[in-house]
Amino acid sequence: MTAEQTSPVLDVRGLVKHFPTGKRDQVVHAVNGVNFSIRPGETLGMVGESGSGKSTIGRTVLRLTEPTAGKIAFQGQEIAEMPMAACRPLRADMQMVFQDPWSALNPRMKVRDLIAEPLLLHTKMTRGERRDRTDELAGRVHLSTDFLTRYPSDLSGGQLQRVCIARAIATNPKLIILDEPTSSLDISVRAGILELLAEIKQQTEAAVLFISHDLGTVRLISDRIVVLYLGKIVEYADADAVFEDAAHPYTQSLMSAHLPANPKAEIRRHVLEGEVPSPIDMPSGCAFHTRCPVAIEDCRRTEPQLEAAGNNTHQAACLRILDGKNRID
Amino acid sequence: MPSETTSMALREVTAEPEFSLWQRIIGLTRRSPTAAVGLGIILFFGMLALMAQYLMPHEPELVYAERVLHPPSSEHLFGTDGNGMDIFSRVIYGARFGFGIAIPAVVLALVIGIPVGLWTGYRGGMVDEALMRFFDGLRVFPSIILALAVVAATGQSLINVVIVLGVLDSPVFARVVRSEVLALRSSVFVESAIAAGNPTWRILFIHLLPNAIQGAMAQTAVRAAWAVRISATLAFLGIGIQAPTPEWGAMIRQGAEFMISGQWWVALFPGVALILLVLGLNMFGDGMQEILNPRSRAEK
Amino acid sequence: MNLLQVRDLETHFISRDIDNRVRIAHALNGITFDVEEGEILGIVGETGAGKSLTAQSVVGLLRPPARIVGGQVRFEGRDLLTMSEDDLNAIRGNDIAMVVQNPRTSLDPLSRIGDQLIRIRRAHSESSEAEARSRAVEMMTAVGIPDPELRLSAWPHELSGGMAQRVLIAMALMNEPKLLIADEPTTGLDVTVQAQILELLRDLVTRMNMGAIIITHDLGVVANFCDRMAVMFAGGIVETGTVGDVFENPAHPYTSNLVDATPERLKIGRKAVFGGAPPDLYNLPDGCHHRDRCRFAREECSTPPPLREVGLKHVARCHFAGELPETAQ
Ligand SMILES: Nc1ncnc2c1ncn2[C@@H]1O[C@H](COP(=O)(O)OP(=O)(O)O)[C@@H](O)[C@H]1O
Ligand SMILES: Nc1ncnc2c1ncn2[C@@H]1O[C@H](COP(=O)(O)OP(=O)(O)O)[C@@H](O)[C@H]1O
Ligand code: SF4
Ligand code: SF4
Ligand SMILES: [Mg+2]
Ligand SMILES: [Mg+2]
Repeated sequence: MTAEQTSPVLDVRGLVKHFPTGKRDQVVHAVNGVNFSIRPGETLGMVGESGSGKSTIGRTVLRLTEPTAGKIAFQGQEIAEMPMAACRPLRADMQMVFQDPWSALNPRMKVRDLIAEPLLLHTKMTRGERRDRTDELAGRVHLSTDFLTRYPSDLSGGQLQRVCIARAIATNPKLIILDEPTSSLDISVRAGILELLAEIKQQTEAAVLFISHDLGTVRLISDRIVVLYLGKIVEYADADAVFEDAAHPYTQSLMSAHLPANPKAEIRRHVLEGEVPSPIDMPSGCAFHTRCPVAIEDCRRTEPQLEAAGNNTHQAACLRILDGKNRID
Repeated sequence: MPSETTSMALREVTAEPEFSLWQRIIGLTRRSPTAAVGLGIILFFGMLALMAQYLMPHEPELVYAERVLHPPSSEHLFGTDGNGMDIFSRVIYGARFGFGIAIPAVVLALVIGIPVGLWTGYRGGMVDEALMRFFDGLRVFPSIILALAVVAATGQSLINVVIVLGVLDSPVFARVVRSEVLALRSSVFVESAIAAGNPTWRILFIHLLPNAIQGAMAQTAVRAAWAVRISATLAFLGIGIQAPTPEWGAMIRQGAEFMISGQWWVALFPGVALILLVLGLNMFGDGMQEILNPRSRAEK
Repeated sequence: MNLLQVRDLETHFISRDIDNRVRIAHALNGITFDVEEGEILGIVGETGAGKSLTAQSVVGLLRPPARIVGGQVRFEGRDLLTMSEDDLNAIRGNDIAMVVQNPRTSLDPLSRIGDQLIRIRRAHSESSEAEARSRAVEMMTAVGIPDPELRLSAWPHELSGGMAQRVLIAMALMNEPKLLIADEPTTGLDVTVQAQILELLRDLVTRMNMGAIIITHDLGVVANFCDRMAVMFAGGIVETGTVGDVFENPAHPYTSNLVDATPERLKIGRKAVFGGAPPDLYNLPDGCHHRDRCRFAREECSTPPPLREVGLKHVARCHFAGELPETAQ
């Protein structure tokens, strides 16, 4: 079964999310018309600077926050406008791991109960069956069963993140969203968690959305990558293509800012001028035109759409792909 | 995000070891001697209440007709009252009323106040607004007058006193729980609980409650002191519990009549007992609040 | 002569427990390193390794219960540890400048950027207000702040994280320091901003022929921006050498784990043996402090390992440095 032949687990079309600001007729344009889909067994990496809307997309897709507009099809079922209560049974099939494991677990619950909670909520397992399954899950995330009777405050960051992962895979979900799962962990435990995620990825047929601003990590884990800038997807391609053959000027500069842990890597750095504009006053046309080194007059007016750049699995939203002047070096 | 590494290091340094009950009590006397003294007083009265039948030299309502208003003596340590009953025994027995009213009243206040605080804090909106305004309104009235009116209207029984005190005191708990929930409801673990598929009732009672209850618990001793005081005041005013029930407030009311004629002991001893217990509860309560209140803790 | 020479620096946290017994946390245990003019030394290590403490000890910014109990810190040949407080103050903020993590908390929220820059200049030299102001504009330009004249009157809260960090660097440069110490200068900033700041730092070091120390937990930062590196573990430096040498031939098992755990080198499925609790600083193990986490540990390791030279100016504190099997599991 190849990924291309199966229908997507998650299909997001035209997703928009605006947050109110204190003032009337002013909103934060957190997500502005985003389309992507993830097939079973596929890991989609999502990169972008902080504030580019990554977490908001993850939370909106899981209906933890209400979308402003757009369609979210989960296993073919439209869930964007479903009442919250009706979403609850679906949550057995879509789970999330959060960035900061210290705050993502109820401090008053024992680790065993935390891992078993999704089972309690979504299955008819007996107490004994839940026990067995919890032990098994602890094994799968390489967490000693000694920790099951402890409280979260007794565990280290890496161990807590293992608990969160065990919790997320407990019901064999079809979609797992990982929002910066290694970003707040110390360097000494990051590798272990990445290995675990890679292992789990191999074991399941779940669709995975892997959100991170750490480019090295994303490349390691993802099959395909979307690059966000100000709540819009600017590039959507295979992981290696994004790193080696970025088409969008923003992606090119982002990749050149990446610092691989290799002193021999040859990097031509294209340091961007200025800062990311405020998502309250979005630039017109191409949102990147205020910083783009190859912008032309038309970029202020025309909003580029995702179009094939190179082969048909590689898409980018830049007006200058047409005339081939999209390279910033 | 910018201070990830700092907060990580902090977490490691501030991890607190588990303490046994005994170590906690020793710790309490160190951290707050006031609370320890208060706890001692409460335990003393608690023992009186529990062991009253062994400690009382006389039956509390036995009338010694020939010994009316006798001053303190070796036979009647605190003297006798206007009915010829032994005040020492009655003061001991009265501890049962103190706890017997305060504990169920506080429990009732918790049972009403906590769910209200959880719900309004989590949901917010109109209901929350309306309820909080209503609670504010309640606070404008002196509670004693409200209690007086309601007990007078609903009938004078011990049960009614307990219910009225419990209901009147529930907003205090609703408020503390609500403010905790307001701070917690957008926390990541609550979002994580929603993402896992928890229904609202589980979010409220399994996830929020255990994390939001500390403030309310810290208030219980102080609110118990309030209940003891108000119930005694009601009895003193002749509402609720009536003489010759050996309740301190009722005893003080009876003794007040004899103050002028010089039989000071009738009112003095139940009065001292009442003040002591209220003081003990307050001292303990204040100490607990200081220890449990995260802010004062952080400053340590 | 080296610009900065640190020899056997030892810093302890000395406190008393409940029963009034003295407790000593051996937070730094014999730190030795040099910084030369025109070079950047990277200090890496996991959280709690003692990186910040090293910087604070060097510049004399320790607060009780931390205390330097041994060693030497020589700056241009003068021992900072035995110097009078007045002499030290004259050097600190003048010849030695420090940039710390979390720029927002390091700026005085109640004075304008310009005033803070001018104040620091005039505290250490007898320059006039106007002179100091023009120097401030010059430094703001040097760190890439647009409209420097205008920004002088900005308040700290009006700055983005990246801008605030630039201002801090400008502040550190006001008195033409000979040594710049930057403690996690880009942690928490986005990669594009990080690249901007580090490029800037590197440029300044070369141009002004300063010496610099960059403290980080990101090996990418070290690989791309430092000349030499020192790897810290449990309050000790376990390896020093040029960045190229250390990445290519890590001589200490800890370093080799650290390098292998980066996304670039991580081989999924190889099961990196890394991580685990650091040793208890109150109760350090005899012999090598890395023993409990070391996969090569054997009998000899219960005696303190010597500093072994494995190459030109490439040393590691391990009995078997340079003789470790390539891929022992
Ligand atoms: N609850 C909220 N209310 C208002 N603005 C928000 C809220 N959550 C996120 N935002 C804004 O939406 C934008 C996208 O945020 P986020 O999705 O968290 O970005 P990322 O995860 O990529 O860092 C940011 O500008 C952020 O300030
Ligand atoms: N007051 C203290 N008492 C005892 N140990 C402390 C104290 N403050 C910090 N430490 C310890 O000192 C060590 C060094 O910390 P630090 O230099 O901040 O590490 P890094 O910057 O490498 O993350 C840490 O292990 C920390 O736990
Ligand atoms: S559309 Fe124009 S501004 Fe946008 S990235 Fe392409 S060239 Fe730059
Ligand atoms: S001395 Fe022994 S324990 Fe220490 S790093 Fe070397 S091999 Fe490992
Ligand atoms: Mg985010
Ligand atoms: Mg530090």
